[in-house]
Amino acid sequence: MGNGIRLEDLLPSPAVTALDAAGPADLLVGLPVLNQVRSITRVVSSVAAGLAKHFSPLKTRVLVVDAGSQDGTLEALRTWRETAPSTPPVQDVRLTGPPQRGRAILTILAAVERLKARGCVLLDADLMSATGSWVDQLLTPLLREEADFVSPAYTRAVSEGTLTTNLLAPWTRALYGKRVQQPVGGCVGLSAGLVDRFLQADIWTSDLAVVGPDLWMTTEALISGARVVETHLGRKIVEASTGQPDLATTVTRVVGSLFRLMERHHAFWEEVRGSVPPPRTGEPAGLLPETGGIQVERMVRAFRLGLKDLLPVWEQIMPEETLTRLYPLGLLAVEEFQLPPALWARVVCDFALAFQERRLSRDHLLRALTPLYLGRVAGFLLEAQATPAARLPVILETIDRAFEEEKDRLRARWR
Amino acid sequence: MRETWTDILLSSFREVVQRLALAAPRLLATATLILVGWIAAAAARRLTVRVLRAADLDGRCGRWGLTATLRRGGIREAPVTLVGRLVFWMIFVVALLMGIEALEMPATAGLVAVVLRFLPNLLVAALVMVVGWLLANFLAQAVLIGVVNAQVAGAPLIAGAVRWLVLVFAGAAALTQLGIAREMVLLAFGIAFGGTVLALALAFGLGGKELAREILESRLRKPDRDDDELTHV
Repeated sequence: MGNGIRLEDLLPSPAVTALDAAGPADLLVGLPVLNQVRSITRVVSSVAAGLAKHFSPLKTRVLVVDAGSQDGTLEALRTWRETAPSTPPVQDVRLTGPPQRGRAILTILAAVERLKARGCVLLDADLMSATGSWVDQLLTPLLREEADFVSPAYTRAVSEGTLTTNLLAPWTRALYGKRVQQPVGGCVGLSAGLVDRFLQADIWTSDLAVVGPDLWMTTEALISGARVVETHLGRKIVEASTGQPDLATTVTRVVGSLFRLMERHHAFWEEVRGSVPPPRTGEPAGLLPETGGIQVERMVRAFRLGLKDLLPVWEQIMPEETLTRLYPLGLLAVEEFQLPPALWARVVCDFALAFQERRLSRDHLLRALTPLYLGRVAGFLLEAQATPAARLPVILETIDRAFEEEKDRLRARWR
Repeated sequence: MRETWTDILLSSFREVVQRLALAAPRLLATATLILVGWIAAAAARRLTVRVLRAADLDGRCGRWGLTATLRRGGIREAPVTLVGRLVFWMIFVVALLMGIEALEMPATAGLVAVVLRFLPNLLVAALVMVVGWLLANFLAQAVLIGVVNAQVAGAPLIAGAVRWLVLVFAGAAALTQLGIAREMVLLAFGIAFGGTVLALALAFGLGGKELAREILESRLRKPDRDDDELTHV
């Protein structure tokens, strides 16, 4: 183990002592939570059952780290624990200070080191579809020493994870050369060695730890040469809580983290050519057609409004060449609306360059992407509706390739 | 008659020469001060530019976003060039004032003292205007993007109103700092600001009922199944 952040630096002594009292653990499942009273007991019971079923000879532990819930999440967990069987032990810690998910993740990583665990799973407490077999799939490649980083893949409908399918995954693939389906997947398996590397990183006091610790971990695994394995977990169903941020804030956080990581790892991605899929376990993940109709009018209207009113801002971000290709889209009828993948990749590339050159306030720049993203999603959903189910993966591949092709231009213009 | 005319002519000429001889050192001193000031200002500018370039001020300003902010305000020059120019003009203006003072003309007596006494207020007022201008642009842009993302029509109008409110406020603050018609500025600003707010409130309440409803609906009402229903990540 290295000399990175230690658990004593994060928790008061009684909390560390309580954690030590249960002895060392071979495997740990950590859940960073923040106001997830509606899902916490269901997810923890699934995880505990999975550990008991698949890893019973080993010492396992579930650790719930509350970043500052105000809705009684921990109280609900403690009430459940009094009635539930206590194998494996389920422990909880409440952090003080500002409610930041990144601090909860850091505490879990430090606990892995403290308990000398061989591996861990980080799992979001709002993943209602999490089952015991998820824990098995995320931990087994680590125990077999076949992986340092087990990334999830899901079977999702076309309307699910549109920011991931249209930006996050293709851009990560183009930049870092690995075709990871879910760079921010809500759960991940980590080996002890990789946890140690994460603890020694310098991001925990930066903005990235606040807004994008998950994407940072994925990126760090991809660029560090860690053995990355992807495992198909089935459907991803997230508890629809009332505390979700609005779309512009989500775009700002996710895309902002992506762009910051681009700056940080410029030397790495500049050398990467092409991409390869990581080794996979389980059945291939699928893309399901939409069962109910999705109304895209509002998204198209948002795009048109952006084109009309945000032009002075977009002119600072995108060159005339890109804007000229966007103008005609404002005249398209809703049912024939499209923002083609190649143009979308160009738009994202222009935003990344403007972000790096700080052409305007970074928060403003990222928020100004929202109408364009909605336009892209509207086009994507319309195209998916008109495509047979078997051909849906082709749409995703087209997006991925558009981003890979755009990377050469990015490389040439990046300062 | 002829002698008298010659005497007058000579005496006038003598007097002018004497006066010029008296003023010449002052003129020479003024010219010297201006020339030395210009040389010193140019040297200081050159030195400043060299030092700041060595410290990579242009690069730092680029990374801090200051260059982009200046560019958005119509200033295309590099920050190092701007600072160099500022240093030059500060030194040269001081030298110029010293030169004028050296003339010892009644009209310019005490000019340097007056200017120097007024200079801090002028600098503060200029600073207030610059900060106000930057803030106005920043807030107007934030409002523009926020209103568009809320999918409400008329974003440029709202953003423009915000920009002018901040600029008017900064202008009033700068004039007050300069002590120019302080009471009148305060009164005019109070009436204008209060009137604008009242007018906006009335316009929004009476004429903008639909807009108000649109904003509230977009914020509060859950749409059937569109972008708010999607899981984005």
